[in-house]
Amino acid sequence: MKPVKIAMMSLTHGHTRKYYQTLRENSKLDWVASCAEDQAAKDVYELYKTGVPCYLSAEEMFRKHPDIEAVVLASANDRHLEQVRFCAERGIDILSMKIPTFDMDEYDKMIELCGKAGIICQIELELHYNPVVLRLKKLLGEGAVGRILSVQATNITLSPVWAFPWQGVPEASFGSRVPLRAGDRRFRGGALCDHPHVFDMIRWLTGSDFDCLFAEVAPNLRPDIEVEDMLLVNGRMKDGTAFLFDPSWSRMEERLKVPAPGWEVFPKRMEVNITVTGENGVLVCDCFGPNVYHNGAPNDRYTVQYTYFDEWIGLIDEFVDCVRHRKQPKINLKWHKQTIQAMNACYESISTRTPVRPA
Amino acid sequence: MTTDLNKALGFLCGKYSVASGEIIEKDGVFRVRCGSGDVTLLPWRVERRFTELGNLIANRTLEDVSTFRFSSMTAGGRLMNQVVRELDLAAWLGGAPVVSLFAVCSGDAAANVIAKLANDISASIECNNKLPAGAETIDRHEIIARRGIASDRVVDTQVPQASIYTFTGQGGARYTDTDAELFGLGEAQIRLVRAAFAALSNPALGDDWNAAAAVMDGLAEAVRKSDSASVMINLQGGKQI
Repeated sequence: MKPVKIAMMSLTHGHTRKYYQTLRENSKLDWVASCAEDQAAKDVYELYKTGVPCYLSAEEMFRKHPDIEAVVLASANDRHLEQVRFCAERGIDILSMKIPTFDMDEYDKMIELCGKAGIICQIELELHYNPVVLRLKKLLGEGAVGRILSVQATNITLSPVWAFPWQGVPEASFGSRVPLRAGDRRFRGGALCDHPHVFDMIRWLTGSDFDCLFAEVAPNLRPDIEVEDMLLVNGRMKDGTAFLFDPSWSRMEERLKVPAPGWEVFPKRMEVNITVTGENGVLVCDCFGPNVYHNGAPNDRYTVQYTYFDEWIGLIDEFVDCVRHRKQPKINLKWHKQTIQAMNACYESISTRTPVRPA
Repeated sequence: MTTDLNKALGFLCGKYSVASGEIIEKDGVFRVRCGSGDVTLLPWRVERRFTELGNLIANRTLEDVSTFRFSSMTAGGRLMNQVVRELDLAAWLGGAPVVSLFAVCSGDAAANVIAKLANDISASIECNNKLPAGAETIDRHEIIARRGIASDRVVDTQVPQASIYTFTGQGGARYTDTDAELFGLGEAQIRLVRAAFAALSNPALGDDWNAAAAVMDGLAEAVRKSDSASVMINLQGGKQI
């Protein structure tokens, strides 16, 4: 199959650096260019010495590389609609970061733009391509614990706001400045916006959609940021499955400008653990473990060194297949809409302190 | 079961010259009967790991607690007893009562509760009783604070560890022993005996525990109502408001 000529835009998203290796090493891709959001993003990009040219203007990049077929939108959430429109006008397929937008009018506009242009828009939720998750799905599909009664999941990480400041800016992350609730000085746009995976995952595991959600915020671990960093969510799916999620930034970090070894303060910087209670038993699952451990450089601090599974291989395989064969990816804009609506319902619940049905 | 417990309790009371009592059980709730009346036992409050977790908060090894993440999975047993035990632990460790909760249950098999304490600490309580018969309880108690995280589970593990593991022709086995004086009793039995002994040794504790038990009854009602009506319940002194 002819490699897909691909580019990256903005380079400000936390997952940006994870693509550098993938785009270079995956033989199904030909990474031809990048364009940075600004000089600061370009400076960081150049630290990684990819050898791929980087521009400060998307127009210039496409003018010099008219053969670009697809882009990775590695940008802040508030840039997505404009960039989707830009790509749709040029017939460029899109691999979007995990939150297209929280504004449902914008969201519908994205669906319309992609539909009219006939372009692929895959949402990057890499957890689905994790081998532990593949095993989890297989076991549940085989009825290992019987009918699912309850799902609990963590999607907890350190906070990326020091390296990727837009994730701490309500307008850039959530799309607008909305207080969490009356009397609370914090705004929507924090940890919840960073952690859609488990909201999507439960839809895959149960084959059902959200019935109602309740969410509660706790005191921030980082009182100096203006978005939420600690919250809990529970609720029920339409098939009756009860659930509880922790999508917090509950692992502390060194305030590095560029992610690097020693970023974590808590030994394990990221965790996605899923517990499924079924009629016939219980399954517990660590999607990113076990690992190896050290207390060496740079901080001589006990640290979990991940033995990462490369979810991006399966993700890119699917994207290329969809681009080449004009197929809809599993996680497309229409599928993902309910996940975003559920996350919006969480914010609504935090505000009203009542359970909320996703709109 | 209470025969062994009372024998062990008698041993401790005799050894330390404490007026003896009798452990009784009804509906999964244990009490100790003594001269001043019955005391509901809250054995988790004398469990070493919870004592130490509490100490980490009290001596400010952890500073500014934000969230408790508690879970408990058992092989059978009454789900609501698990839930209110975990809620009591949250209130006891957090040093403040539960003032609101939202619960979503799956019959008598699983419960997911988000609670708020009066001092703004959040707590998630995840319980089920669907482990197979004979399986050891799997639980986790994590305290997340601005300064520090504490847990009774090792980082990057999902299940409790043991002190001794044997791997022999008879298969694998594991052993955890925490009390030399009561060596031979199971861990759950040891906690009950220690709780009863604590109540008999310190009569003031009885009032405290009976009051907490009454609050737990109110929390159980609140969990049931929240689940059935899908509403957040506000509480004061364990009573719905």
